Amino acid sequence: MVDAIGSIFQRPNFLTFVIIFLWGFYIMVTRYNLVKKLIGMYLVQTSVIFFLVSISAKRGATVPVLLSTTETVQAVNYVNPLPHVMTLTAIVVGVATTGVGLALCAAIYRKYGSLDEQEILEKLE
Amino acid sequence: MSHQLPVILFLLPLFAAISMPVLCLKHRHWSHRIALAILAVMALVSIVNLYNVIEHGEVRYMFSGWVAPLGIEWVADGLSSIVLVLLSVLGFLGVVFAGTTSPKALDGRIVHYYTLILLLISAMVGVVFTRDLFNLFVFLEVAAIASYALIGVAGGRALFAAFRYLILGTLGASLYLLGVSYLYAVTGTLNMADMADKLPFLLSSKAVVGGLLFMFIGLGIKMALVPFHAWMPDAYTYAPSSTSPILASLVTKVALLAWVRIIFWVLSASIAIYDIPILLLVEIVGALAAVIGASLALAQRNIKMIFAYGGVSHIGIILIGIGQGNQTGFAGGIFYLLNDAVMQAALFFLAGVAFCHYGVRTVEDMARVGKQAPWLTVCLIIVGLGMIGLPPTGGFFGKWYIILGALDEGNYISVAAVLLSTLLTLAYFVKLFEGIFRQTTRSEVKYSEIPFSFKLTLGVTSAAILILGLLSAPIVQLILSHALPPGL
Repeated sequence: MVDAIGSIFQRPNFLTFVIIFLWGFYIMVTRYNLVKKLIGMYLVQTSVIFFLVSISAKRGATVPVLLSTTETVQAVNYVNPLPHVMTLTAIVVGVATTGVGLALCAAIYRKYGSLDEQEILEKLE
Repeated sequence: MSHQLPVILFLLPLFAAISMPVLCLKHRHWSHRIALAILAVMALVSIVNLYNVIEHGEVRYMFSGWVAPLGIEWVADGLSSIVLVLLSVLGFLGVVFAGTTSPKALDGRIVHYYTLILLLISAMVGVVFTRDLFNLFVFLEVAAIASYALIGVAGGRALFAAFRYLILGTLGASLYLLGVSYLYAVTGTLNMADMADKLPFLLSSKAVVGGLLFMFIGLGIKMALVPFHAWMPDAYTYAPSSTSPILASLVTKVALLAWVRIIFWVLSASIAIYDIPILLLVEIVGALAAVIGASLALAQRNIKMIFAYGGVSHIGIILIGIGQGNQTGFAGGIFYLLNDAVMQAALFFLAGVAFCHYGVRTVEDMARVGKQAPWLTVCLIIVGLGMIGLPPTGGFFGKWYIILGALDEGNYISVAAVLLSTLLTLAYFVKLFEGIFRQTTRSEVKYSEIPFSFKLTLGVTSAAILILGLLSAPIVQLILSHALPPGL
């Protein structure tokens, strides 16, 4: 038991990822304010990006550009670029989604004069 | 030239979408014609592509010349080429329909509306062709963002429905991305074929099982599978009449196709995780979706709502076919997918015509217009036959092959689920027909003849339902000979 807890704390990054993900999910599920829901959604997206960065982090490694062509390539010395590229793309996708979400929020506010989900649902009835 | 066809099919709508705001700077009404022309060209190219794939085998396209496991790979095989013909033809019809029904309030923003439609279609082309798991995520999200905006343009309730779709859809996409990154952390590859080589030895790893679970739940949200379908009926009901046919017939089907790709191309048909065969899960989930979706449809009054829940139940029927794990079941499932896309398009064209021309929203309203709407009535009968699954429509043959596949495997629960959902479908169509034919109230309003674009879309989709039925043998044969996954 103590070992299991100890092993969790040895990987603080993954613990942080789980906390951010669940926190965002909790906000999305429990809050009635639409902007808060969007914030929760953005936290979920960010946590996944954080996870991607965590799995590709490497101590003492550098960017994957060979300094000389004569030396043999040591994979240990270079960071894998692919997860970082995925991270960048995921950030762009996340920003676009949040943008559309905020635009929808603004349009909903103009239409119903409220951002509270329950108030809007009452007006929809 | 022919090996460039997949990427040409993707770039046609993409370039048209990007250049649309410039081309239509002075003349807004050009946007509709440009979209029509591009999609017509795309439909022709997709047919050429299908012919090419049948004659010369699958086309592999490596972006920038990076060979498969390193670069992004697109493959035009039988399955994706068949679906692409469907996609471009239905996209074309959807744009024809949108020309008459697009929301009046759009006015100056009509150019952006068609830009979004073309963007949606090009993203779906990407989802169909790609063999890279991360690339799939990007295209799913581009398609999803375009559809949020396309639903939201109607204003009013649609805004709220689009917002809910956005929240749930993004949660789904995040889960899918999380699953992909789990699998990437374990296997170190994103290419489907490469991952298929590495995964079978890693199935005892909790990371792989967790990753697959996240991916399936994420895609399940995108394709409105039953426990996660909550966003779909609202979104498609309140979406503008001009968009809902394209969304309902294509977006969920394309996500389903991505699921099929992952099950059969990344994993394999016979795979079992912790002694549970994965196809058994697909089949059970499908059976639940088929029955629950149809029962929910029965409880609705709004006709678009009925059709949307019908779509939920048909996703289930397709999954039952896919989950049988034999050739007949798979071919039946894919054939039913083609039929279902056409039927959903036809249903939402119907609902759009009923709403835009006759002002009909609910089953009760149908009684007002019955005799004055010959096109509506005849098409509703044909689509009804297809949805229920009576010969000679495509729906019948799809269900027939699915049931044959299930009988081969001795899965009587699947057979029962298909039959039960068929009965429930019959029940809600009887409700609709009753609405039309009972004619309790005589209508005083005289309705004019419906415009040509309505006749064209209704006519072509209804004819397609019958033709798919009449040509079911060659089409299923085509699926059996060219579109089967490896190892089935």
